[in-house]
Amino acid sequence: MASIDKPLEEYDSVKIWYQGLREQSGVEPTEDKSRLELLAEFCATLELDPDAIVAACLLRKEGKETKISIKGRRSMAERITDFQAKGGAEGREQAKRGNTIRSFLIHNGILLQSGIQI
Amino acid sequence: MEFKEVVGRRRSIRYFQSWRKVEREKIQIMLEAARLASCAVNATFLKAIVVIRDNIPRETLDALKTPVSALTIELAPVHIYTYVDMAAYKGAQARLKKLVDVGALNATHGWSHKFVDEFVWPNILKPLADNPNLASVAASAASDAGIAICQAMLAGVDEGLGVCLTAFQHDAINKLVKAPKEWIPLFVLLVGYPAESWEAGGQRPRPPLEEIFFEGEYGKPFKADPKVTEQMKAAKMIQAPAPLPWRKEEIKALARMFGLPE
Ligand SMILES: Cc1cc2nc3c(=O)[nH]c(=O)nc-3n(C[C@H](O)[C@H](O)[C@H](O)COP(=O)(O)O)c2cc1C
Repeated sequence: MASIDKPLEEYDSVKIWYQGLREQSGVEPTEDKSRLELLAEFCATLELDPDAIVAACLLRKEGKETKISIKGRRSMAERITDFQAKGGAEGREQAKRGNTIRSFLIHNGILLQSGIQI
Repeated sequence: MEFKEVVGRRRSIRYFQSWRKVEREKIQIMLEAARLASCAVNATFLKAIVVIRDNIPRETLDALKTPVSALTIELAPVHIYTYVDMAAYKGAQARLKKLVDVGALNATHGWSHKFVDEFVWPNILKPLADNPNLASVAASAASDAGIAICQAMLAGVDEGLGVCLTAFQHDAINKLVKAPKEWIPLFVLLVGYPAESWEAGGQRPRPPLEEIFFEGEYGKPFKADPKVTEQMKAAKMIQAPAPLPWRKEEIKALARMFGLPE
């Protein structure tokens, strides 16, 4: 288990996420505290730190380029769907839970699509 | 709309008003534009099957998606699945002779029925028809289809629609559309009314003319005349480049509207 031993913002994957949100999406990540709270909750559910969550979606083979692991990604997509379903009764609130985690992974280069949620 | 403006306004639309039906006549106009496109040996290599997204079973729709096209496929109300029909070569001999008959190909340029039957068909076309897997054959068929698809796209833009040519999982659609085996799947042309503004953030970055086009020989850039460039700007063929200042705000609003990650 990769336990969380420092503030979430100090993990590389969170820094990459924040940078992506600022530069690509034009969103100031610190403005909405719920973002980090949701990531913390997801980390706790999986008992993994943010960097380990990204790593779980990747295949690293010695001497070869790192690739996205189909199995890892698929199981992560399922965990996100479960996590989303555990949210409030409101569809929008639930979608926000899932999409926050998807956004974290997308900015870290992991493909995750949920489709429209309206 | 003026032609130059149509060219200038076209860009890949990836957010569609998923709920809004597209008038069937607009699709017919797009298909007609494709049919009228220039085509090698006057054989229409492009074949297409129009499918209304809401008629695609959910499972099939999900199976069609690729990592680079999933959401766009889901949002677009009309899908035009495009194929190259390699069997199109088969009728080429007769079609060429028809071009001779109607005065499009003439003796002035060396054309006659006999020339088609005894030279063009056996020496040029039959070897191509017999070797559909050769890269050069596939490339020419794909060029042919590409031109026709492009005309359909521009016609769609002229009708006020948004279009995006996109990859799809070929096997997934076939149970539904039952395309013949000799049709090679290309891309799906997604069509609908844009949910993003038609500017879609501005005209996309492209390398300058001088970098990709040459004059006389490779390495000697085709130099753009600034006066002509200005004329094209005035005709709205060259438009404001992406990103427009409000693009990020637009994407944020679209993400919220559709419930998408930021
Ligand atoms: C043959 C072809 C295939 C394409 N496939 C995809 C695709 O699978 N997914 C996608 O989002 N865009 C796809 N596009 C759109 C291009 O990415 C797009 O043309 C590019 O972003 C340039 O922008 P513009 O079309 O808006 O001018 C494709 C375009 C062409 C011509």
